Amino acid sequence: MENILLLLHPVFGGLATLAALWVFVDTLNAGESSVARIRNVSLFVAILMWLTYFLGGYFYIVYYGVDKAFIKGGPWAFGHNFFMEVKEHVFLMLLLLATYLPIAASGYLPSNKPVRKVILWVTGLIVPTSLAMEGSGAIISVAVKIALLLKMKGI
Amino acid sequence: METIEIGKYTKSFGLSFAITSFISALLVILKETNEDTVLKGMAAITGHHWITHGLFDIILFAVLGLAFSKFHSGRGLQISTNALIGSIVGSVIISGLLIAGFYA
Repeated sequence: MENILLLLHPVFGGLATLAALWVFVDTLNAGESSVARIRNVSLFVAILMWLTYFLGGYFYIVYYGVDKAFIKGGPWAFGHNFFMEVKEHVFLMLLLLATYLPIAASGYLPSNKPVRKVILWVTGLIVPTSLAMEGSGAIISVAVKIALLLKMKGI
Repeated sequence: METIEIGKYTKSFGLSFAITSFISALLVILKETNEDTVLKGMAAITGHHWITHGLFDIILFAVLGLAFSKFHSGRGLQISTNALIGSIVGSVIISGLLIAGFYA
């Protein structure tokens, strides 16, 4: 169960990032035909980010304690002390930003340049922040792996 | 000439995001520097400080967004697009730096 959760968390996060990139590109080239798509995919970004939050949050609360102990006792303690601490708190900001996206997109029309600008900036913030979250997750996973390998080797 | 404006909810929830994000970053520093009081108190509310932190952020975002939308007799906040974008981008950068800087 916990491994499935651990897999689904970055999968949904990755899909949310791709969807946000879709909205960014679609908004850059927006026309009448893309209005509904931009609004729908914006909503999809928010849904995917909330799924990422619930799955990751459940894993963090229920299972992460064991991993945390290994990381903190291993050579890559910064995997928790910096990357996990920053990730768990910056993610809350990302969740709100993704929640805001469909609100901003709901008023979008091709003729409305100000809203277009807001959507471009919001998605332009979501994509790199999400990628930083994915990267932090990878570092945390490697930190656990290194700690476990050293334990197995008896070092 | 018709003036094209952004909607009241786009403005209200945009500014709400900027404020909530910044307060959330300050709350990180506050709870981590006051483990025996603030952190423990937050953990006692829901069972884990991070759940309480998340709930606090979500509620604050919703409440501020709805409150701002009621300003000016229900017409919402009067804020320019550039000021709104500036507050959103500025908040993401400052909040991110506050959090990363604190744990560095």
